[in-house]
Formats: sequence, C-alpha cells, structure tokens
Amino acid sequence: MSIIFCTNMLYLSQILNSKIKDSSDKTIGRLKDISVKSKAGAYAPLDFLIVKGKRRKEYVIPYEFVENLSKEEITLKSLFKSIPNESLPESHAYLNRDVLDQQIVDLEGARVVRVNDLKLGLFEDRMSVLGIDISNKGLLRRLGLERFDFLDLLKVSFIDWRKAQPIKGILKLDTMSKDLTKLHPADLANIVEDLSLKQGSKLVRTLDAEMAAKVFEEIEPAVKKILVSYLGPEKASQIVEKMSADEIADLLQSLPREERDRFLSLLQNGKLKKVERLIKYRKDTAGGLMNMDYMSAGQDWTVAHTLDEIRRVYPSMRSVLYVYVIGKREVLKGTVSLRRLISAKSNVKLKDIMKRMQKRAVIRPNQSIEDIVSVMTKYNLYTAAVVDEKNTMIGMVAIDDVMRCLAPKA
Amino acid sequence: MRKIFKKFWFKLILIFGVIGPGIIAANADNDAGGITTYSAVGAHYGLKMLWVLLLVTVSLAITQEMGVRIGLVTRQGLGGVIRENFGVRWTSFAMLLMFVANIGTVTAEFAGVAAAFSIIGVSKYIAVPLAALAVWFILYKGSFKTTQKIFLVFSAFYIVYIINGFIVRPDFNAALVSLVTPTIEWTTPFLLTMIALIGTTITPWGQFFIQSYVVDKGLDIKHYKLEKAEVFFGAFLTDLVSFFIIISTAATLYKYGIDITDAKDAAVALRPLAGNLAQFLFAFGLFAASMLGAFILPTATAYSLCEAFGWESGFNTTWRTGRTFYIIILLSIFIPAAFVLIPKLPLVKIMIWSQDINGILLPFILIFVMKIINNKRIMGEYVNKPVGNVIAWLTIFGIIGATVALVVTSSLGMN
Repeated sequence: MSIIFCTNMLYLSQILNSKIKDSSDKTIGRLKDISVKSKAGAYAPLDFLIVKGKRRKEYVIPYEFVENLSKEEITLKSLFKSIPNESLPESHAYLNRDVLDQQIVDLEGARVVRVNDLKLGLFEDRMSVLGIDISNKGLLRRLGLERFDFLDLLKVSFIDWRKAQPIKGILKLDTMSKDLTKLHPADLANIVEDLSLKQGSKLVRTLDAEMAAKVFEEIEPAVKKILVSYLGPEKASQIVEKMSADEIADLLQSLPREERDRFLSLLQNGKLKKVERLIKYRKDTAGGLMNMDYMSAGQDWTVAHTLDEIRRVYPSMRSVLYVYVIGKREVLKGTVSLRRLISAKSNVKLKDIMKRMQKRAVIRPNQSIEDIVSVMTKYNLYTAAVVDEKNTMIGMVAIDDVMRCLAPKA
Repeated sequence: MRKIFKKFWFKLILIFGVIGPGIIAANADNDAGGITTYSAVGAHYGLKMLWVLLLVTVSLAITQEMGVRIGLVTRQGLGGVIRENFGVRWTSFAMLLMFVANIGTVTAEFAGVAAAFSIIGVSKYIAVPLAALAVWFILYKGSFKTTQKIFLVFSAFYIVYIINGFIVRPDFNAALVSLVTPTIEWTTPFLLTMIALIGTTITPWGQFFIQSYVVDKGLDIKHYKLEKAEVFFGAFLTDLVSFFIIISTAATLYKYGIDITDAKDAAVALRPLAGNLAQFLFAFGLFAASMLGAFILPTATAYSLCEAFGWESGFNTTWRTGRTFYIIILLSIFIPAAFVLIPKLPLVKIMIWSQDINGILLPFILIFVMKIINNKRIMGEYVNKPVGNVIAWLTIFGIIGATVALVVTSSLGMN
C-alpha cells in the first residue's frame, strides 16, 4: 500500500454537507456531492461540485470556480449569479453517490473492500481524489468520534486511488484499470463472488471473452449458474464458447434443459461432441471430472515429432505432463512423461520409451473421487487417463480437478 | 452398508437444500425464547392472545417477503444495503440495535440450554459452558451447514405439540373465536407478554437472516413467485406450531392456574401425549431449539456487521485478516453464556424478556426496511405495493403503540 504525501489533509467526510459561500460571502447551499473525471491508473481531479440550495434545488458548479476547499470553509471565486448553471454530466462518477460507502476492488490486494472515506489533495496543482480510506479510523471519523481515539491507537490505511476500481455507477471499458485484467483469473473470480451480483456481472461484462471464460471457470458453481442467466444469452454464450469442454459440461449440467440446449446449439461441432460426451457422466465421478484436452500420440511417433506436435497444440492444453500413447481405435497403450521425453534421443520411437499401460493405473469413468485419489496417490500421478471397458482413452483427470473437489472453498 | 448410509444422508441433505429460506427462518423462529414465550402466553392468559398471533402471522409473512425481495433485487445483505444508502451513522445505529437484540436472543438460547439440562438434573454451570464451547468449536472447526441441518431435523420436535394439541381435546371453537376477538388487558405483565409474543415471531435477526439466505443460496429474481409462496407458507407453518403450543398450555396449565416459573412447568403441557416422559421430551426439544439458535445467531450477527462495515468475514479467513469477524462471534457466544451463569437467574423470565427487547427494537429495523423497499432507485419495479405498506406500517406503529402503553402501565404501577 503506497503512502500518499500531501500537505493539507482533507477527507470527503469533512466537507460533505458544509456551507458554500460565493465571493459576496452569501451562502448558496450545502455540498451534496462531487463529481470526478475518472481515468484508469490516474488520480481523479474534482470536476463539479453538486450543491443543494434552498427549496431542494440543485446547482452544479464547475471546480474552476472554487477558491478554497477546506475543512473550515468552501468559498467560490465569483458571484453565484455569474456562474453558468451547467446540467449534471451523466458520464461522471459521483464520489458520495457512487464511491463512498460502496464496495470497490482493491487491485493490489485482489479483494473487495468498503470505502469508509476518501482522501483529497493536490496532485499536479489540481484538487484530486488521492486515496481510499478503508480503516476503522475512517469509520470513527464518519461518526464524528475521532477524538475518542486520542491515543491514536487506530491506524489509517489507504488504498491508492490509482490502484482501485470503483464498481458502482458508470463503468465503461475505457475506465477499467489495466491492472484489473492483470489479476489472476482465480483472484478475479473471488472478487466477482464477493461483489453483489449486479456489480459482479458488470465486471465480467467488461472483460474480453477469453479472460471472462478463464474467470468463469474459477467461479463457484452456484454463483456461475446465476451469473449465466444474469449476463443474458448473448454475452453468456460468447464466454461459454471459450471455456474448456469439461467446464462447459459441468456448467450445462446445472442449467435447466431449455437453457442447456440453447448453449449446446451455439457450440462448434468439435467442442459440441466433447461436451455431449462429458455431460452424460455424473459430476462426482471420473467421467464428470475429466477433460478432453490431453496430449495423445501414435506408437510410431519419434520423440522429435512428438515435441513438435506439443509445441503446436500446447495453447489449447491446460497441462502436458504426460503424452498418452494411443494405438488403433484410440486404445491406450502407454504413457511417456514429459521428463522422459525431453531426456530421450530425438529419433527414438515412443513405443520404445513408454511405460506400458497398466490396468490398475488408469481410471474408469464411473469411479468416485476417492477411487481417483487412491489411484493417483498410489502411482504418483499428476494426471490420470480415463479409459472405458475396451481401454479406449476417453479423457484425463488432472490433479487440480481433484483438488477443487476436495477443497471447494479455496 | 456405508454406501447406503451415505446415500441416506445425501438425500436428507438434498431435501433440506430444496427447503427454502422461508421455512428455515420460520423454523428457527421457534427457538428457546419462542417455545417459552408461547408456553407462557397460553399458561398465563389462556386463549386471550390468539388474535395477536393471527395478526403477527400476517405481518411475519409480509415482512419476510420484503426481506426476500430486497435480497433478490440487490443481491446484498440488509447490512450492506443500509450502509450503501444511509451512510455510516445510520448504519451504526441499525447495527447497534441488531447487535443488542441478537445478544439478547443468544442469551435466551443459553438460558434454554440451562433450563433444558436443569430438567434432567444437570447443573447449568456444567451444561452452559460446554454448550458454548461446542458451538464455538463446531463453528470454527466443523461444518456449520451440516450441524445446522442436524438441529433443524431435531427441531421437527414441534410436531409433538401439534399431536399433543389434538390429544388434550382443546375447545377448538373457543380457540377460533379467540383468533378473531381482540382482548387486551392494560397491565404491565399482559403487555410485556404480548410484546414478547410479537418480538419472538418477527425478529430483527430474522429480517437480516432471510435476506442473506436468499443472497447466499444464489436465488434469482425469477424465483420470486416461488419464494413468496414459500415464505408465506413458512410463516403459516411456524405460527401453526405456535398456535398449538398456546392451546396446549392453555388447556393444561392455564386451566389449573399454574404459572410458568420454571422450564419444568412448561413441560407439563406435554403430559397428555408423553405422560411421564413429557419432561424428557420437552428438555430435548428445548435443547435442540436452543442450540439451533445458538449456532445461527452469532454467525448471522458477525456476517451482517462485517458486511455493513467492510470487515473481512467468513470462516475461511485467517485470524489476522478476519479478526473482527471472529471477535464478534466469540463475544456473541460467550457474553450471553457468561450472563446465564449468574446464580439464581430467573431463566424463564430471561427468555421472555429477551424477546421483549427484540420486539421493542424491531420497529426501528422495519423502518429501514420500509425506506429501502419503497425506494425506486434501489428496488426499480419491485417497490412495495400499497397493501404491503399498510400492513407493515400498521405493524410498526402497533408495536410502538404497545411499547408506549407498556411504559405508561409500568410507570403507573398497573400490575
């Protein structure tokens, strides 16, 4: 957390509802809100003061007209009459309405926090929002009880405004911080889960389909299910298309039939077949857990050819720890570990270096999670092949799929 | 064999997964404070207060439905919605009220544990600390959800009151007449019992609980109609049980002029059904109901407070980051437990008074709910309809009126 140095400490809570006087010392109303021009990765300069005048009338005063903004007083440079009355700029973020008391994403901590107060100060000669106070001290200040902490036991902690992503109000692609998309998909997924559904879905919407799909795969099944219906068929299908077959199958299993059929009809042929095959198995069995993006090779392939092939297809694979050697009709013949592969001579054929398929070291589609764990533990496997009764390879279970089942909270 | 057992549990859990928030919240409503208050209502005033129960049932259905609706629309707990729309000061006020009411309710739960064990002759100095430790340990280490479900199964014990209600052959005609005949005595004990009756049925925590439940369960606005029906059914079901508790005690204790000063007295009402086992049956039921509340309340309190003030919450946080969350839970378990250990504490009165606190504080929470649910900016097309508004405001002013009357009667010494 970066510390913000600033000569005059000023918090939004200290000036909200303060009287505003014009150059003739006449009170024109009280400060209701402040709008800012928010740009990703920069401090937000104050743009307009929203003033509540007599008879609930609201005025919008451009910040250029402000002479002094401090705890003690807010004064304007000119006469109130001479200030053009602007209409409320819609595309702006309002500090009181959209940021204070709301949840925001702390990009550095990859978490969702609530805004207790906002710190204002000069940055490059412009009054700007510099930091977000998320501390209990901020709460006390809001309650007007700050003096009770005379021993200064509570520490103020800030999030740098540039490292935060407000969620409420207008959220457009161009105001999204780049740091947000730099977060790990799993962290982003946690953030989406922590936000309210409205805001979470908004966040997902602003991501590109590829990233959204990665995030989606990490989101809790129950939340995922509602998000899909919340995002609407168009956006949801864009995202679902980019997900891996096993994740799609899991998701579709939890949806009502008509929705499932609609998504299925949108998938491309190759993926559709995989998903349809996976969807038949129960979720808590090997068939339901497995994925179909594994590296397979023929018995007569040379090491060099296999490595070339891995280089070609690796972007679509989540992990390539073993190469599965396949005979006629996709029957599993054996496995070659990546370690063995890169240490072997390049003209050797796979059938000469592979470990022959052992009946007990593979998994059947109807086996339970406990069975999978015991096979993987016993034979020290990070990924295990799933074969049917004719020893045809139909999928692969990776250790992370198993872990997710065993520790669903993480 | 193990597989069959597993399947059985699986199915049982599935059933409770389908049972919605309305029924769960309603069932948890009949906690230690609930059973005791309803017993006292019947034992001390016979059928006289049944009309209050009928009105309260309508109010419960309406207010719980509003909670569901806010949850479905905002996808946030009540604490969060209050914070985002009323600022820190009002939030602190609302949260303080909720905290006080909830501490009161947890106190009732541990008083219930103490009372249940006193029936079978176990000292409260042993039972209450053990129960408090068990609650903390299971919350911290074990599975909250499974435990909650187990106690929910136990709390099916209320069915015995319904069966019992038929065995005692009460005067159903008189009961039905009482349901629609308002009678009121302007005395402190009557008003105190009446406010407790309201406060144990519609509770501040129930309002927070149902909204969080809807959000956590991931229910969607398209389930609204179903949820509404479920909530209404839940309200009906819980008060059906209350109805039978009241007529059971009215037909037994009230008839013979026995006041409830001890849990043993309340157990007498079950004698027609269970004979000599009535004491044990009642002790078991009271214990299960108390423990269910003792599990749900501290956690619900901590989640609401953390949501409102932005502290990290959840049992998957570490002690360092989730310190406040854990401290709130610890405080709301051990302060009430310690309080109950005060020697010679009148347990039954404590259970009823805690419901009075709930009843007196309830209107203020409901006012927040009303402000939220009538705000178009928050609720959009789902703002309240006039009927809901009228019933809710009548509830609010009814309780405030009863509270004022209580203050007046007690200051005039109208006992």
